[in-house]
Amino acid sequence: MDIGIIDEIIDKHGGESGALIQILLDIQGAVNWLPKEALARVSEKLSVPMSRIQHITTFYKTFSLTPKGRHEIHVCLGTACHVRGAQDILATVEEVTGVKPGETDPDLNFSVETVSCLGCCALGPVMVVDGEYHGNVKPAETAKVLSQLKLTETAEALEKLKQSETAEVLNLCACQ
Amino acid sequence: MPKLTIDNLEVTVPEGTNVLEAARILDIVIPHFCYHEALGAVGSCRLCAMMFLEGPVKGVQMSCMIKAQDGMVVSSTDPTAVELREHVIEWAMTNHPHDCPVCDEGGECQLQEMTVAGGHGNRRYRGKKATFTNQDLGPFVQQEMNRCITCYRCVRTYRDYCGGTDYGVLGSRNRIFYGRFQEGKLESPFSGNIIDACPTGVLTSKPFRYKTRLWDLQEAPSICPHCSLGCAIVPGGRYREVQRVRAGINRETNGFFICDRGRFGYDHVNHPERPREPRIDGQQATLEAALAAARERLAALVEAHGPDSVAFLGSSRASLEANALLRDWASAYGSTQLVYEAHQGRDYAARTLAAQVGGHARSLGDLRQSDLILLFGADPLAEGPMLALAIRQAVRDGAKVVTIDPRPVVLPCAARHLPLMPGRLPVLLAALGQGDLSAFDAEERALFAPLLDQIKAARRPVLVGGADLLGGKGVAALCSAASALSTTERAVGVMALLGGPNSYGGALLAGDGPGFDTLLDAIQERTVRALVCLESDPFCEAMDPARAQAALGHLEMLVCIDATPSLAAQRADIFLPVRANVEMAGSYINNEGRLQEFLPVIAPGLPIKETGAGNHPPREFFQTTPGSAPVADWWLLAKLLERAADLAALRRTMAKYDERFSMLSVLAAETSGLRLPVKVVLPPVADRELPHADGSDNQVLLATTGPLGSHWLAHLSSPLAATEPRPYVCLHPESAAALGLAPGDRARLTTRFGHCHVEVRLSAQMVNGLVLAPQLWDTALEGLAPGSMHDCRLEKETKA
Repeated sequence: MDIGIIDEIIDKHGGESGALIQILLDIQGAVNWLPKEALARVSEKLSVPMSRIQHITTFYKTFSLTPKGRHEIHVCLGTACHVRGAQDILATVEEVTGVKPGETDPDLNFSVETVSCLGCCALGPVMVVDGEYHGNVKPAETAKVLSQLKLTETAEALEKLKQSETAEVLNLCACQ
Repeated sequence: MPKLTIDNLEVTVPEGTNVLEAARILDIVIPHFCYHEALGAVGSCRLCAMMFLEGPVKGVQMSCMIKAQDGMVVSSTDPTAVELREHVIEWAMTNHPHDCPVCDEGGECQLQEMTVAGGHGNRRYRGKKATFTNQDLGPFVQQEMNRCITCYRCVRTYRDYCGGTDYGVLGSRNRIFYGRFQEGKLESPFSGNIIDACPTGVLTSKPFRYKTRLWDLQEAPSICPHCSLGCAIVPGGRYREVQRVRAGINRETNGFFICDRGRFGYDHVNHPERPREPRIDGQQATLEAALAAARERLAALVEAHGPDSVAFLGSSRASLEANALLRDWASAYGSTQLVYEAHQGRDYAARTLAAQVGGHARSLGDLRQSDLILLFGADPLAEGPMLALAIRQAVRDGAKVVTIDPRPVVLPCAARHLPLMPGRLPVLLAALGQGDLSAFDAEERALFAPLLDQIKAARRPVLVGGADLLGGKGVAALCSAASALSTTERAVGVMALLGGPNSYGGALLAGDGPGFDTLLDAIQERTVRALVCLESDPFCEAMDPARAQAALGHLEMLVCIDATPSLAAQRADIFLPVRANVEMAGSYINNEGRLQEFLPVIAPGLPIKETGAGNHPPREFFQTTPGSAPVADWWLLAKLLERAADLAALRRTMAKYDERFSMLSVLAAETSGLRLPVKVVLPPVADRELPHADGSDNQVLLATTGPLGSHWLAHLSSPLAATEPRPYVCLHPESAAALGLAPGDRARLTTRFGHCHVEVRLSAQMVNGLVLAPQLWDTALEGLAPGSMHDCRLEKETKA
């Protein structure tokens, strides 16, 4: 990580301690996680105690204190998704990526998170891949999901079509 | 004054009192976790629910959040409120482990009490409990996070009240974790307070861990012996050793909290090298023989060389009663050589304060209400830590703080710092009193002139001084400035940090007697041939220890009465062991003139040690308890004077020293003590106070009080001694640059006490042109009496 990026973000907010959360969000956006050196820099430049920064970064789920994978997958386990088989979706995600909820694989390809509701229960079960929502993830919708991702071109992808639709989406992501 | 009805009992309470406090006045206990008198109400634990039947608010409400108002009718026993409290306790207990039998809090656990009181006896939750990895929080505090019920009290104590920044709350929901952002020692010098604040066993005392079940602990109200503030403490002892100290409650002094020095500085009582047996010429003797020998030899000297051949040195560590009897003893021989503090600067500071402070004296309670605090040569964290905490509370209420000091003064709150040479402090005080700053150059005038306007605008200003740097002259200037700046509408307060817990009492007894320097002269000239030291060590405490050691070598006889393994105790011809203050009853007068009583917690004796080697219970039996020879200091002196040793009778006669001591007869422990009435007399003027330094060597060194573990009693206490720093000097960056020194460099410090290898620290806050070095025991910096100035040479050490 380049500490210059962190300094830039801090300067963009005028180095104000009141902008702490916004600064942290920007760092999270820029480097995909909150490295220790970055937080130390923020603490030093904003004159905010480290304990206060950790207080915030550990409270909000948005912030990650461990490196995140290139592809972030969120599987909704809310009530509506649950009754429509979200557990099966999650199990497939785990199987294909080899990553458990809340974890990231060593190659930093995938991070898998569970969420409690995404606010689109009618579309359940819902899965978000790199910020893109995939509703009603079941066989009938596979083609649609895949075309949205525009990944159907690869032969590998066609091969994977025979398998479960969830696994497919993920594998294609891996190929990207 | 609102009048309300709680559980059919009427009560009238002051405006702003919450209903929980109102109920407490009626002795109705409402369970609560998050509410604390000093921390305030936040309404987060949801346990203090009460049913509001009539009045401006209705229904079940959190009683800590509702201010008492006229016409309220409240029930604490209403079934709805009781049921809610039951559920709240059940939620609080979901993750709490059932490890009470091995928990150090067991016996004083608020959670345990509330659980039993709330009627929750059957755990219905069958799920997994949240579990955590504990952090190592340093040598004082033990964390056991699984027991946490997330009441937030530790963070409110540590961050809000004590101003610590390295401890906080992390995570959310079931992952909430109270701790540091990474393992390590808690940095705040008030960290131990979170042990008292925690309602259950999450934060417990590490040195006390696994030592004693709390119901086996002997406790009694006492007064902290570590500084002059006289904080209330409750020491606990078992197996003939003091095992812990918790904060006592005195709203006039410490409030509800104490500093880490007071809390973990109890181990000097159990010190393995503490002398416990009377000795005559190095040979162990019975107490009767030692007493008789002391009486006979002193009488013989008086017979041969006149009454002034015997000198007496009292102490700020000894009880007021013992110090008073010492005066009786001196007058019994007709000796006028009676001094109460070996540190001449502190001695005259205390005497000047006692003589002149009058109605300007302010307590820590007053300090917390103050709106402007000016500190002249006072470093609270080193000289009286609880003062720093009182200042912080004032700042939280909007007070302004200015420190004027040659040292970099660090406070747990915002403060303005103006560096000034120690010799200029009395000059500045006099100038402020007269409103004329012409003694200062234009640059300094620009810095100090706003102080005058600030004092004029303030409603409750307080001037704080430190005895070490001000000495008698400075404290006199402090008192005069306070009276000069007072107006008919509002008085300017004064508080001075003195040498020890009974410096003020010693000062009242000393009157206009000689100073220790005069006494040393007399010893050098052989007019004084014997010295009696009551709980003081002239070899180390004198402002000029080299001179003291040389002079004291001429003594024909040294009698030492002490409870610590001091140098005087080792060198004494006759040694008489006494009890530490936790082992006896007595009284101290703190730095604002507050008379306070302490009670015995344990009886003296060698601590019982379990070795685990199969020798417990002990196989050897004696008629007497080993190490139980020490007696109370006033008891010993009464015996030396061949009087009956009766504390109550002794106190009745004490008005003869000062009529205000008649208050001793109505003094009670565990109260806020009694402030002595005003009596202004002319203070004695010291002939000389500070050892002279002319910078002829290279630099001028100012000795300072070191951090927590560097005081004599603290140094003897193992938990604190472990935190003692290695020798260091502090320099202004400019002086360091001139010497070619960078922070972290090793340097060789040469004073007339010898050489010492020191680490270089820099501070831009301190005055330019001085070398600051703390007094550290058992190092070459031992001889640096705080406030004294010496010539020194500082050279960079090359890696050879």
